[in-house]
Amino acid sequence: MAVFQLAEWTAMAPALILAGTALALFVFDSISPHSTNRSLLAGTAAGGALASLAVAVWFIVAGVGTPTVDGGLGEITVLSDQFVVDQMALYFMIIVAIVTALIVVASYDYLVGHAYQAEYYSLVVLAATGMSMMAAANSLVTIFIALELASLPSYALVAILKDNRGSVEAGLKYFLIGALSSAIFLYGISLVYGATGHLQLDNIAEVIAAGDADPYGGLLGLGILMLIGGFAFKTASVPFHFWAPDAYEGAPAPISGFLSSASKAAGFVILFRVFTEAFPLGDQMNALIGFDWTVAFIILAIVTMTVGNFAAATQNNVKRMLAYSSIGHAGYALIGVAGLSADGGELVMGAAMMHLLVYGFMNTGAFLFVALAEHWGVGRTFEDYNGLSRQAPIACAAMAVFMFSLAGIPPFGGFFSKFFLFMGALEASAANTAMLAVAAALVVNSALSLYYYSRLVKALWIEEPATTRDRLARPTGLYAAIVVAAVMTVLILPGFGPVVDAALDAAVAALG
Amino acid sequence: MARLRPKNEQSTLICVGYESPNVTEMNDWIAIGMLALVGLSIPLGMMVVSYLIRPSVPETSKRATYESGEIPTGGTRIRFNIQYYMVALLFVVFDIETVLLFPWAVVYQDALASPEYGLLEALGPMLLFVAILMIGLAWAWRTGAVQWAQTRTQAASDTDRQ
Repeated sequence: MAVFQLAEWTAMAPALILAGTALALFVFDSISPHSTNRSLLAGTAAGGALASLAVAVWFIVAGVGTPTVDGGLGEITVLSDQFVVDQMALYFMIIVAIVTALIVVASYDYLVGHAYQAEYYSLVVLAATGMSMMAAANSLVTIFIALELASLPSYALVAILKDNRGSVEAGLKYFLIGALSSAIFLYGISLVYGATGHLQLDNIAEVIAAGDADPYGGLLGLGILMLIGGFAFKTASVPFHFWAPDAYEGAPAPISGFLSSASKAAGFVILFRVFTEAFPLGDQMNALIGFDWTVAFIILAIVTMTVGNFAAATQNNVKRMLAYSSIGHAGYALIGVAGLSADGGELVMGAAMMHLLVYGFMNTGAFLFVALAEHWGVGRTFEDYNGLSRQAPIACAAMAVFMFSLAGIPPFGGFFSKFFLFMGALEASAANTAMLAVAAALVVNSALSLYYYSRLVKALWIEEPATTRDRLARPTGLYAAIVVAAVMTVLILPGFGPVVDAALDAAVAALG
Repeated sequence: MARLRPKNEQSTLICVGYESPNVTEMNDWIAIGMLALVGLSIPLGMMVVSYLIRPSVPETSKRATYESGEIPTGGTRIRFNIQYYMVALLFVVFDIETVLLFPWAVVYQDALASPEYGLLEALGPMLLFVAILMIGLAWAWRTGAVQWAQTRTQAASDTDRQ
């Protein structure tokens, strides 16, 4: 496949394309400020996201990251190993690019009459750049910089409806908790650096394996706990989850979808990479820091999925329900780290990666449906959604697909990823019996989640409308994005083979 | 401090004229603790001494915020012009630029002299970096970040004048 040889830095092309797109949008906005040419702006942003997607898919097909013994090109390191482009990086770059493209297309209609068009798109693409770089970051410094590059535009995006009190409040809350968790994360980095003397992930592992960090076990353990805190913020997992409902509720709905899908996936990729590369499991690691870090993730996974699902079940506001459900799904994906063991865990980590891909479609789609409802101005609660299927059957059918897929009902993508997670958790329980509790929590919570997801479907399809509504508009962009997301949620089932292969290969490569 | 001296006779003889490193067997934390103690006791001591020796002449004007100074008007919770933050944010652009330009300028000549790097490798990344910052600055300029923001009353009085 590699007929011609590209320079090594071009391996970062999926992220670089996004960065270039963001800069192009800024230049355009400098030349013609306050432009209302929505098609050009949204088109540029969507083009950039799709180009990034195409390049990432091309790389993964061409064999970047596939071990050279299997005929691939091997993983490519950029800037003296500060970035590594392997299968896991490309896999998550694909997720980020897909979600960005969906969000940008949907925002075309959502932003009608909005004052900050170009700024909005360039901030979205800049945040996507950060997430794409998070996927490839291989040292604690680049991880932190990429994390901030993803976070800072997100704060502004959440608060971009400047005249809406909810949006501004959400932005401030998100920013304050984000700043706090960034500080904790950075402190964790400094402690890990203090204990090991390295920032690059594989060097940290070498120092630990050589026993040079032995006198600083407590310091290292504290640093690892603080890193977990930073990851918990980015993935909206339990100790730092409480920003999520407020931020998602106040933010523009496409941005809620963006944060809860792409940003969460990016948080998980650095979580996977840091804990598989830098802190390999084993008796030496446990003896050094005094605890087995999978225990922390087992607790986090169970608590996160339980808190998320129980809170979601009591919500009356659809967006808030989705926000809590997104916390619950962070708990499912955490199983991927909880199930790791010294000599295994590929299946469970691969399953978590599959879940994040499927989740990128179904959760983004669900939030885009909320964006559509906001665009219609029908209200925010379950009752307000009553009987919408009479006027908008296509969108409501898509929403039903998303809800059942999120709940994990068999014919849809969400069932398969959850099934793999369950199987992976059972397999991992051979090494760690606590994983049985995780598997049980997964099943119980999925059953509970069916209650509130089907409640929304019931409101849409069965309940009578509370008020008579005028004919609802059919905005092209929003409809297109929702339908594509729904089709992909269904179609990913026959196409699940390549996804499973890609995710498992990436997990094996990351753990190997 | 006698305890810090080496106890045996022989080493005392060797150590005549200077204090051997062996002497500093005391814990490092003692030095830090002493520093903290002195650091605290100096200001506290000054306050105590001035309390003891100063005359007490109660007078109402002494309770003013600025004794024999400006008479304060209004509270401290006023709104600042947003423009100050805009200037501060634009300053960050140049600040970051300088921070990276300095180390780059230090190694620039060496990089050019070495056969490994050409002009493109040495100059290109910095030009790209400055160009990206310039895009940000140009954008801020075009969208009016450097125009001095006016309050409503100022804007109204400007229109009156015209």
